[in-house]
Formats: sequence, C-alpha cells, structure tokens
Amino acid sequence: MKRPTQPTETPQVGRSVPRLESQQKVTGRAEYVHNLRLPGMLYGKIFRASVAHGRIRRIDVSAAQAVGGVYRVVTSDDIRTLLPEPYYGPAFHDQPILAIDKVRHVGEPVAVVLASDPHVAEEAAHLIVAEYEELPAVFDEVQAMTSKAIVHETLKPAGTFPDLKHLKGRTNTNVALDFHLRRGDAERALATADHVFEHTFRTQQVMHTPLEPFVSVAEPRESSLTIHTASQSPSFVRIELARLLGWPENRIRVKVPFLGGGFGAKLYVKLEPLVAVLALLTRRPVKISLTMEEQFFTLTKHASTFRIKSGVTKDGRITSRQCEVWWNGGAYADIGPRVTQKSGFTAPGPYDIEHVAIDSYALYTNLPPAGALRGFGIPQLVWAYESHTDLIARALKLDPIEFRRKNILREGRPQATGTPMQDAAIDKVLERLGVLLDWERPFDRGSGTVRRGRGIAIGFKACISPTTSVAMVNVSADGSCIVYCSTVDMGQGSDTAMAQITGEVLNLPTEAISIVHSDTDVTPYDMATLGSRSLFHMGNAVRLAAEDARAKLRALAAEVGLTAETPIADVFRKKYGMQAGNVIGTGSFIPSYTPPDYATGLTPNATPFWMVGGTGAEVEVDTETGHVRVARLVNVADVGTPINPKIVATQLSGAAIMQLGFTLFERMDFDAAGQLRNASLAEYKIPGLLDLPREMVNEAVVAEQRTGPFGAKGVGETGTFGVSPAIANAIEDAVGVRLTSLPLSAEAVYRALRAANGEPLPEE
Amino acid sequence: MSPFELVEPRSLHAAIHLLDPDDASIRAIAGGTAVMLMMKAGVFRPRRLVSLRAIESRFSGVETGPGGELRIGALTPLAVLERSAVVRREWPVIARTLATLSNVRVRNVATVGGHLAHADPHMDLPPVLSVLGARVTIAGPAGERTVPVASLSTGYYETVLRRNELITTLTVPLQGRKRAAYLKCTIRSADDWPALGIAVALEMDGAAIHDAGVVISAATDKPTRLAAAEAVLRGASLDEATLARAGEAAAEGLDIVGDAHGSASYKKQLLRVYLGRAVRAAAKGAA
Repeated sequence: MKRPTQPTETPQVGRSVPRLESQQKVTGRAEYVHNLRLPGMLYGKIFRASVAHGRIRRIDVSAAQAVGGVYRVVTSDDIRTLLPEPYYGPAFHDQPILAIDKVRHVGEPVAVVLASDPHVAEEAAHLIVAEYEELPAVFDEVQAMTSKAIVHETLKPAGTFPDLKHLKGRTNTNVALDFHLRRGDAERALATADHVFEHTFRTQQVMHTPLEPFVSVAEPRESSLTIHTASQSPSFVRIELARLLGWPENRIRVKVPFLGGGFGAKLYVKLEPLVAVLALLTRRPVKISLTMEEQFFTLTKHASTFRIKSGVTKDGRITSRQCEVWWNGGAYADIGPRVTQKSGFTAPGPYDIEHVAIDSYALYTNLPPAGALRGFGIPQLVWAYESHTDLIARALKLDPIEFRRKNILREGRPQATGTPMQDAAIDKVLERLGVLLDWERPFDRGSGTVRRGRGIAIGFKACISPTTSVAMVNVSADGSCIVYCSTVDMGQGSDTAMAQITGEVLNLPTEAISIVHSDTDVTPYDMATLGSRSLFHMGNAVRLAAEDARAKLRALAAEVGLTAETPIADVFRKKYGMQAGNVIGTGSFIPSYTPPDYATGLTPNATPFWMVGGTGAEVEVDTETGHVRVARLVNVADVGTPINPKIVATQLSGAAIMQLGFTLFERMDFDAAGQLRNASLAEYKIPGLLDLPREMVNEAVVAEQRTGPFGAKGVGETGTFGVSPAIANAIEDAVGVRLTSLPLSAEAVYRALRAANGEPLPEE
Repeated sequence: MSPFELVEPRSLHAAIHLLDPDDASIRAIAGGTAVMLMMKAGVFRPRRLVSLRAIESRFSGVETGPGGELRIGALTPLAVLERSAVVRREWPVIARTLATLSNVRVRNVATVGGHLAHADPHMDLPPVLSVLGARVTIAGPAGERTVPVASLSTGYYETVLRRNELITTLTVPLQGRKRAAYLKCTIRSADDWPALGIAVALEMDGAAIHDAGVVISAATDKPTRLAAAEAVLRGASLDEATLARAGEAAAEGLDIVGDAHGSASYKKQLLRVYLGRAVRAAAKGAA
C-alpha cells in the first residue's frame, strides 16, 4: 500500500481514516496465531469432563498413549511435578490448569494428548477414559446462594487487583463476592413512597463466539518461554505465568498479533498456562487450537437474575431503589467478582435517586465459567432497569421519554456511589433518541396480524479503574515514526486510532505511522484491551509519549542550533553527521481513583469516565407466531469526541447487532445434568446479514470527555446497553405483553400472547 | 479425525464399485458440506470416501428434456440450479426456494444429489420437489431405477438408497398450470435450520382450488404429505374458513415432537398458520 510520509498540517483526529490493516486482512496477509507453525511443534488436544460435578476416581490414558504417533499424554499429576500449585485466575486462584481431584463443569479440561499430527492427538483423546464419583451439582444462580452443593470447598482470592484485596478465603459457600452499596435509606423511603414497583428479570448464558477460536503456542528456549497467543491481555499473561512458574517477568515473552475477535473472551489467561507447562514438560513447542465447539466450555457471559424495587412519587419522581443481582459465574470465577462490583454499582441505572441499596452476588455454579462480554455485566443490568423503568412509566401513564427526563442523572449530580457525574451526556442521548425516533409524531401501529410498537432504553457504564497503560513513540532519523503499545487490535481499530493520536501530535499523516503489536519484550505494559478502556488509557499514554517525543525533537533541534520548524531528518543529520539516531518519547497513564468504602460501597471517584448509550427500537410482531422483526434500530451514544467517526459508527452497530442476537435468540441450552445441547454453530445461531434491522442509525452525540485524548473516550461496548430492553419495551407497546426473561424468542412472545388472551398454549 | 482412504474414480461405474453395500464406513462425497460436518463432529468416521468430482461431466448440468421436463445432473451445485434461466422461468418456486437455502457458501458447493441423498428432514428442496412430482434416477451395480422424490426419504438421514447406489439425475415435470410455493419458518437466525417447511402446489379453477398437494418438512422426521389438509382444500374456495380448516386438519394427528426450535404445541401452531400462508402464496404465484 502506498503510504504518504511527508509531514502534514491536516488534522488527524476526527478524520475517518480507513483502518490501517484492512488491506492486509482482506487479502489474507494479516498475521494470526492460527497460522503459526514452529519446527518440532507438538499439537495438544484436550480431553474434557463429561459430568458437571464429580470427584475424579481414575483417568485411564493407556489406550491414548498406545496410539501410533502420540508423543505424550499429560494429566494434572504431570503438571504438579513442575508446579505444586497449578491454579490460575485474575480474581481467584481457583482454576487448575488441568482438573485436580474434581471436575466442576461439563467440558472442563482433564487431560491433554500431544502429537506431531493434530489429527492423531484428536483421535487419541477420544480413547481416554475417566471415571467420576458424581456429586450434587448446582446450576441456577439464585439456588447457588443456599445450595448444599458446593462448587469450591475453600475460596482462594488472588488479590491481583487492588480493589479485590478485601476478598478473603471463605468456606462452605458458593458466593465468590458479595458487593453492597447503601446510600440514604431505601427501605424507609420505599415504605413511605406513593407507588412501589417490584419486578424480577433474568438473562441467559451466551457465548462470545469470536470467529477465531482460542489459540496459544508456547515455545521453550534455553531459560525462557515465548508465548504466541490470541490474547487481549499480553501483559497479564506474562505476569500470571511468571507468578505460576516463580520466574522473573523477563524470562517470559508474550507476543500477540491480530485477533479474530475477542469481545472479552480472550482475557487474563486461558490456554497460556497449559501450553506453557506442556512446553516445559516436553521441551518442544506446543500449540493448542480450540475448535468452535470447545469455545462454549471456555468462557461465556453471565446468566443473571435481577430483582429491582422502586419507590416513586405521584408525579413520577423515583425516590428510592433496591437492587438485588445474582450473577451466574459458572465453575471458575474468572473476572466475575469484578463484574459483580464494577458493574453492580450502576445497577440503579442512570437516574438521580436519593435512596439506593444494592446487593450484588457473584455465584459459583457447575456451568462453564462466565466472564466479561462486551459490556462487563452492564447489558444484563440495563435489561432489567430499563424494562422496569418502562413498566413504571406505563403504570403511571407517563410518556417513557418524559418519565426518564424527570429522573435522569444530570451533570454534577451524584451517582449511586456518590461520585458526581462528569462529562456524561445522558440528557443529550435521551433527547437525541426522541428526535431520531420522531417520538412526538403519530406512529403507525400496524394492522391485522402484524402489530407495530416502539420502545427506548438508556444505560451507562463506568470504566473499570484504576488501570495503567504505558506507550513509546519512536521517531527515526528520517522522521518516520513507530508506536509501541500493548493494546491488542482485535477488530476494534485501535491501531488506526493510536496512529491518529500520534499523527495529530507530531503532524504526521496517520497512514505513515507504524504500530508494533504486543510483544512484552518490546512493547511496554498495558493492563489489557478490555472494558472500552484502551482509547482513553492507552490513547492518553500514546498522546503523552508523542508529546514527549515532540519535546525531545524540539530540544534536539535547539541543541544543534536549528528552529523547531526544521525538517526532522535535517535535525538528525546535523546532530549525528548522517541519517542516524532516534528519539524515543514515553508516556504512562493511570487515572485517579478512590476505592469504594467496603461497608457502604460509596466513593467520590468511582471511574475515570462514563459511557452512555441509548437505543430506540421499532418492531413488528406477528401475532400468529410471535415473530419479532426489528424494523428500525437507533443507537445513540456519548463517546466524547470521536477520534475516527467511521469506526465509532461501526463499533456502535457491531455492538448493537451482537446484543440483538443475545436479545432475540442466542442461548446456551443446558439439560438438567448440565450438559450443553447446542455446542456448535449449527445449533447455536448468531445474527447474520439477514437478521439485521431493516434500518439502523448509529450516532454519537456532540460531547467531550475533557480528560480523554483529544476529548475522546471508549466506544466498544456502548452500543450493547439499550438494545434488549428497547426491544422488550417495543414488544409491549405493539402487543401488550411483557417478557421478563431473555431471549425474546418467537415462542415466548406467542405464549405470552396466548396467556394474555386466556388461552395458554400447552407446555409440550 | 483418523486417516482414511480418499478415492477419486473417473466414472460413475467405477464409483459404484468402490462403494460397499455392507460397509457404512464407506461413503460417496460430492460437495461434502454435510459429510465434513459429521466427520468433524466425530459421528461419521470413514474408512473410505469415494469422491464423485471426477466422474463423467454429463452428471452435472441443467437441461430440458422431451416434453419440457427439467433434468438436473446429480452433481450440479445448488447455486447453478438457482441461477439457471430455465429454472427461473419455468420452475420459479425452485429458484425462490434455493435463494434462502442455507447460505451462499453452502449453495456454491453442495450438490443436488447430495442434498437429496443426505435426507436431513430440515432440507428445503425435498418438500418442493415432492409437490412438483419430481423423481430421481438411481444407479447401482444392477442398473438403474426411478423413485419419486416423495418416497426417497424413509426417516431422519435415511433413504431407500442402498449403500452402493447413487442418485444420477433429478427429473422435474413441467410445472404447467400448477402454482406452487414454499414457505419456511426459522426460529433463531434467518439462516437457521427451519422449524417448519411447507410446500404447496395448487391447480386453480377460477377462484376455487381444483387440486392441492401439501408437504411438510423439518417438523417431522421426513418430508410428509398432508393428505387431510389436501382433502380439505380440494374443491374448496380459497377463503379464511377453508384455510383455517386445512390448518387444523394438518395439525391434527400429525406426530410432531418438541426440540430446540420449539415445543410440539408451538410447532403445530406454526403449521396451522404457515399452511394458510403457503396456500395463499401459491395461489398468488408469489413465493
């Protein structure tokens, strides 16, 4: 690709630069771990548990070991010859690299077959036999609170994150974390409220479905390990492997090329500890590539139950709210406790409510583990509080926009934690939704068997904090520029955004800037690519690094007696007598943060920035079948000032379409024994082009995040917030039935219609 | 996946003799879209696959034969049939059905013969071909035989084909005065396997239905003729009451079981609704 190199005065920020990697990707030249083959490499195939909860009586690997071409079969006994405590996890050190003594969910890794031929490894893995003493299992998050079935005998908090340090080992419980917030006196306010509303909402377990499944390669060196991995968090992988092995960080090198999607699945560590120990046991490079089917047993999105209760005045002011949220974390905590707290504190929604009480529980169950998925728990919460909000407005015969207008959090007002809202354009998002939906105009309500309705929903999210990003900007002797940062471009366009920020500072065209992908021996620390944090945190670090480089270039020019306007190449030539040398700018960013008080959950500084997203939906409901067709989906967001407006629009639409699948039909379907019945893309369907709304609008309101790089903040998750409740609200508007569980399947809608008519459809 | 033998004979005759009437681990492979999925899932572990891609080219292609009937070589990719000018003109219901069959990647590779021989009851063409009175020519060691598409499938993944027989040709009679439609209902994504498929062919006599053929797929373990609904429609006028009676007649007594697409009672409701819609679409000649 032809790339301009000359300095430019054209602003780089705010320009819809085509993604730098698009040509590489569409011509099949972009680098992915899946394509990596190393000399002498072994392929690992995982043998997985067939019961949801069981004590391992016996693992017989003899038949697998006897298959021609099998190099070795490995179980946790082998791993413990290397690591006495092979447990990992970001919040709890609860997840064994391979099952030890017990299995806690169907599909848990129990053994690995290694062979030079992946087909041989797969064939041999089928021959492993495991016997279990089955234990009582628990699958429902509310039942897990009181269940006699205990998933983990003792809890093992990791304490990796400063704000999870209060987690302490507990026994005989499935509650991994309970978060509580109290502001005012919700109980008393509810007792005296004019109206009290209480509802319970549920969401289902779903999967991230990145089209590139998990894949990791470990390459052993003399006294070090190189890990090539499809990970959103290379720095965390290095630190966690160093902890597991008891090595210094510099003996572990983690390299991440492009990712074929992540969405929160490829965070913290996943396959990396396994390939690392296999490589150390065999002294050969080891690769494990999961199939699409295996992804269902690796990481998922929390199912949840949310009981919400509000006190409202006669004239429609919400004065009090109680929120109880139960998160189904599955068998291993992953980042679930953080979801419970960091998202939990926004459970009352973007409303100005004087008396608030929140109880949010992370539960262990015998299902595949749940973690972050594009929204970090927020879509589950918005689903409940915006369905609830709509129900209240209907009951009080108030217009849904007017009711929200009366109650939304406005600039400077304290959110549930007590943190004042700053740079959160909730009002603008709400008003713009009304405009784009023509809310005041008469609405075509359909006729015959097709009824039309519309609904809105707004949500917000705090960015997890505190987290750190470090960046380097290297200006070469010819004036060309390379950015070193560990943000992982998994399709969200971060390479392009970081290049735009650098170009803006250094007056270089974005297309002329190179980005070095994550390599922990080369690129500096970054907490992870998650939670829409990268543009804000790494963007700030890159901006600081570029400004540092600019200052150093100016100093260099002054040192050799040249003006600041002198072309960079001339400055270097005068300094070094030839094209030589370079200038390296560094930047490091961590926002300020005050941890919440343990007892009250309150803090004056909960987040570095707020994301605000709203959705309006116009739907058509087939009253004879319950089919819901989304005719129009309008997504409006506060993303601060967009760095790249085109990418902002596609991030909003991508997130909304993903949430549309979670809203209408995606669902992991478990039987009573915890066996997953639809672990394949033939039976677990995600939206395709034919499922898109007939019309979609994706818009960022005019806004500024004053602490962000050039006024910007994150956008990756914002489009998910309002989709589910907007559609449920529109369904009630169309046909008068209210669904309180996701997904809003055609059968669920039809059953509700029949029940409302007093002619319920037979169960079977 | 364990090693297996892949053979690529140059003639139909050779292909048939590489198959084995008694060995289920030997199978023919054409487009491979279904076989590969079964192999990846570990439910089919072949000893030998007989690829049909190199056999005589006359087994691929679309042409019209004597009397204007449509003859389709079994190795014709579905996408070729979909784009065929003569199919679009004379058998528009087939072209329309193909446009929503699975997805374009599958249609480009999957073949007509493979589609029919696979006998997954969720497939779209068998009900349509059944109401059009289509038949397949089947070749085996003993020679050829002809079987109506309507009696090809005997159950889930099961057909009248013996293990060493191959479909060679699909023949579809002229649609003539028949008006036909196929409607399917998917529950999850639009490109999901259908919960229900309904094919209808009508011969109209002014505003009245002179004759009707109705075949249901997906909700039953093989494409099934709905004789009771046909009887209601035959000779009746096309109105709401008739369609409601036909829908009830179709749902009554039909053995439908619940699955991931929906409960049995919901699928019966879909049948009641879609039957009427398919009849109307056929009468209009619109679908």
